[in-house]
Amino acid sequence: MKCAPFDYVRAGSVEEVVKVLGEADGDGKILAGGQSLVPVLALRMARPSVLVDVNRIPGLARIRPVDGAVEVGALTRHSRLVEQTHHPLLAEAARWIGHTAIRSRGTTGGSIAHADPSAELPVVAAGVDATVTIAGPSGERTVAAEELFLGALLTSLDDGDMIVRVRFPLPTRWGFAEFARRHGDFALVTAVVAEIAGSLRITLGGVAAVPQRARAAEQIVADGGSAKDAARATADEIDPTADLHGSAPFRRAIAGEMVRRALAQVGIE
Amino acid sequence: MSVDRADGPAAAPRATAPAPASAAEDESGSLGRNVRRKEDRRLVTGHGRFVTDLELPRMRHVAFLRSPYGHARITGVDATAARDAGHRVFTGRDFAHVVLRAQSALPSYIETDQPILAHEKVCFSGEPVAAVVAKDRYRAEDGLELVAVDYEALPPTVCAWQEPREPVHPEAPDNVLLQRTFDAGSVTDAFAAADLVVERELVTNRHAGNPMECRAGVALWDAADGKLTFWNGTQVPHIVRNMIAELMGLSEGKVRVVAPDVGGGFGVKAVLYPEDVALCLMAREMPGIPLKWVEDRAEHLLAAAHARDHRYLIKAGFAADGRLLALEADVTCNVGAYSVYPWTAGIEPLMAGGLLSGPYKLDNYRCTVRGVATNTAPAGPYRGVARPASVFAMETMFDDAAARLGIDAIEIRRRNVITPEDIPYKMPSRLVDDSGHYGECLDKALDALDHPAFRAEQQRRREAGENPIGIGVALYNELTGLGRAASAGPRMPFRTGHDACTVRVNPDGRVTVISGVTSQGQGLETTMAQIVADAIGVRYDDVDVRIGDTDEALWGFGAFSSRQAVIGGGAAHNTAVAVKEKLVKLAAELIEAAEADVRVVDGEVYVVGDPKAQISVAEVARVAYLESNRLPDGIDPGLDATTFFDPIRGAFAAGAQAAAVEVDRTTGELRILKYVCVEDAGRAMHPQIVDGQIAGSVAQGLGGALFEHLVYDDAGNLSTGTLLDYLMPTSAEVPDMVIGHVSHPAANPLGVRGVGEGGTLGPNAVLAGALRDALGIEVNALPISPASVWKELHP
Ligand SMILES: Cc1cc2nc3c(=O)[nH]c(=O)nc-3n(C[C@H](O)[C@H](O)[C@H](O)COP(=O)(O)OP(=O)(O)OC[C@H]3O[C@@H](n4cnc5c(N)ncnc54)[C@H](O)[C@@H]3O)c2cc1C
Repeated sequence: MKCAPFDYVRAGSVEEVVKVLGEADGDGKILAGGQSLVPVLALRMARPSVLVDVNRIPGLARIRPVDGAVEVGALTRHSRLVEQTHHPLLAEAARWIGHTAIRSRGTTGGSIAHADPSAELPVVAAGVDATVTIAGPSGERTVAAEELFLGALLTSLDDGDMIVRVRFPLPTRWGFAEFARRHGDFALVTAVVAEIAGSLRITLGGVAAVPQRARAAEQIVADGGSAKDAARATADEIDPTADLHGSAPFRRAIAGEMVRRALAQVGIE
Repeated sequence: MSVDRADGPAAAPRATAPAPASAAEDESGSLGRNVRRKEDRRLVTGHGRFVTDLELPRMRHVAFLRSPYGHARITGVDATAARDAGHRVFTGRDFAHVVLRAQSALPSYIETDQPILAHEKVCFSGEPVAAVVAKDRYRAEDGLELVAVDYEALPPTVCAWQEPREPVHPEAPDNVLLQRTFDAGSVTDAFAAADLVVERELVTNRHAGNPMECRAGVALWDAADGKLTFWNGTQVPHIVRNMIAELMGLSEGKVRVVAPDVGGGFGVKAVLYPEDVALCLMAREMPGIPLKWVEDRAEHLLAAAHARDHRYLIKAGFAADGRLLALEADVTCNVGAYSVYPWTAGIEPLMAGGLLSGPYKLDNYRCTVRGVATNTAPAGPYRGVARPASVFAMETMFDDAAARLGIDAIEIRRRNVITPEDIPYKMPSRLVDDSGHYGECLDKALDALDHPAFRAEQQRRREAGENPIGIGVALYNELTGLGRAASAGPRMPFRTGHDACTVRVNPDGRVTVISGVTSQGQGLETTMAQIVADAIGVRYDDVDVRIGDTDEALWGFGAFSSRQAVIGGGAAHNTAVAVKEKLVKLAAELIEAAEADVRVVDGEVYVVGDPKAQISVAEVARVAYLESNRLPDGIDPGLDATTFFDPIRGAFAAGAQAAAVEVDRTTGELRILKYVCVEDAGRAMHPQIVDGQIAGSVAQGLGGALFEHLVYDDAGNLSTGTLLDYLMPTSAEVPDMVIGHVSHPAANPLGVRGVGEGGTLGPNAVLAGALRDALGIEVNALPISPASVWKELHP
């Protein structure tokens, strides 16, 4: 379990990253916290010809409250998200990521770019309607998180792109519930309830290839229905696949229960 | 996790565990006290010396190419590209003349060959096929990609109780490598007379040993001396020396095996693996070049010994009052692709059949056990060997019967358990139980659990409609320290009943112990030092212990079957006593006192009745080595001895575990509210080490009950190939536990019973029982997961 050979570039600026990635012509990879990339390299499931280390680029680890939202620099470590108080939902979600060692290295940009269907930050990003700012060969652009995630470990980022920051709107009310086999494991199911611009969004992680809105459940809540009914609707509207840790019906039930628990946190019983 | 002692802080054992007269028991003794562990300065300050830490000049690194198929014929191996790239490559043909053929004299046993590197066919996914030597491990793995192997897939069989699709070994067309029936009393009649018969099919989960340090070896062939040195993270260095010498046609004196610090073993490092032999064979081909292989976690999960993949078809007959009348079982153990060397495919099935009835009285017993080969990694010894599964099966019978007969689950056990009055009790498998203290362990465990309080809480929750709680218990007997009459393993060409120890009082009066025991973290250096210090009468700090090097220690079988405290400890004690005899004789002459009046305490020699020291051990030792002019007639120079010890029989260690758990009805999650383990360690030589062994083994048992599960798909691929999928318990999952002791000295020089494994025996049964108690659901397959509980609740 040792990675295949690669070249290594320590980038000093975002421009340099974009340039080196461009030259690598699709064969380059950004190295941020390394907590997802390095295991994949070790298994030789990824074999980039060049790794671009972004850890020394200045100014990318800021957490900044802006009107109605919090901007999080791509290099912000999960542990910093836990500590910050500007965005309590983000802090709560980050607490659920892995273990101390992983949280002190792993980054927001890395987690969003990696797009693991069971990871916490992508669900929160989709759940609060976050926007992601990306630097690419033709400058910066901003996309909605929901448009970024295309599939499991698959995003709309181009080969030469780098996430520079993510803007997480502040929900007026929120709830967060997660179910995992062990403390610190990737979630079997994550449920995020967030009230954004007056409407309550219910978003699930771990039940599909990308974070999934539970729209039927949202409708029930909007119509004044109970959390129990919303949970039932959730279980019906998702289509999770079975794996080693549980059958599809089990995951449906757990998803419903997590939605119920997250709703309870915003006072919906 | 934190550990509470049920009987207050340590120190108590001195009072509660009276030492037999043979062992020193004066005020200054170190036995029974939590003396600072000798190995900890090095281990906790990062100065451990593990095989991985070994750096030698000219060292090269080895990586193994492993089969991606569960079952396939090898039709071609082409290493040209790898060799062209400058790598040294070895393939199966290079070592086709060497095979691992585990031997046993059991009549039904079919011997089979395990190749060093597969060349005709591969029998499990992960089996080594070729090895590449390179400057570092990265390059060695690059080299693996350049070795082309052509396979012709064969149908794999991964489940031991399904029809084989194609035999793993032609010698065993039905894949059965061994089958044996235990038969006692008259089972048929007893069932006919039973008021209740319970019958279940139980399946237990396949485990990996997963020590923190995976397997590792460095082999170096010294051509000038014709000598092989093999640094090996093994539990059994002397057995490895013996086997390597035999396999390579070397004299044993020309093979040195060194087990330096070893980071956990749990049984999986008591096996000699093809990778070990390959490393030594390759080293002989590359004289003067140390070859290093350090197993990574993926390799460990794929190819180190697996365990506990069993099915029990089990049936028990009870009288209306709950007495167990008969037990009948058919036990199939998945032994994997090969019979593990040297323990054979019998290790798990025979243990399962021999100890299935556990600590319960039983006259009528019929049990057929079989070891069935499949296209999975070989199964071998793993902490608790088979009994975490067999105890689960046995205790399930009692929980089932109790529920059906309307008897309390604890009461039904009390009615059947072996008591001190029954000792010696001959089990239906003819093993002789010398303990009988199960009831006492159970009482103490229930006390520590506060059983009545949980029963009351259970009732309250039932009435309030809250999440239910349940209580589970398990009793077990752990057969430890097996002497020649009870020796571990199925009639192999060797008996593992003895160990040797050398004790030297050095010219400065300090003591060096060269022991045949090995340590994988259990603190054997400490324990041996305590034993010798007390037996001679020197200070613990003045004793150094050297272990793990076959060029130093005369003999030791190593760490397995919870044997080392009893056997290696007994050898250390007896040897120290022999040295002390000479010390006393010499000292008596030097101070002109009667030998019978001489006392040795803390390195000083006294005469009874006189509080003033007459001479120091150091001065006596100086005479023995340096001042022969002062040596009395008839006493030879030197102050040392080497002796062997064999306890002949074994010592059963009684144990009871109990827990209260809470179940979340909506998610199927199980939360352990309290966990208690009470064991009879005999005399606890170092209470903290004893508690550490128990806490660790209970934690490992809980991991097995709730998380750990190796799964193969039908194509023979391991689906749980990393720790992302093979879930180990972490400190967050292991609950605080209460550990209690009853201390009934065993009949061996130190009065000790083994404690290395017993903890693993309880958790499956305890948690399954607790679930039944909470929800009335039956656990038929392990591990217990939220999904499995949920499924039972939502059929
Ligand atoms: C044992 C373990 C447990 C874990 N448990 C969890 C968990 O419970 N929940 C969870 O969410 N995560 C978990 N993780 C993953 C962890 O959160 C990672 O840190 C995170 O997913 C990736 O962030 P990183 O900075 O480490 O990225 P890296 O590993 O460095 O990179 C990951 C991928 O993203 C790309 N990338 C990185 N930064 C950028 C960027 N700025 N722009 C574009 N692409 C980029 C890389 O090229 C790579 O493809 C766990 C990891 C481990 C090892």
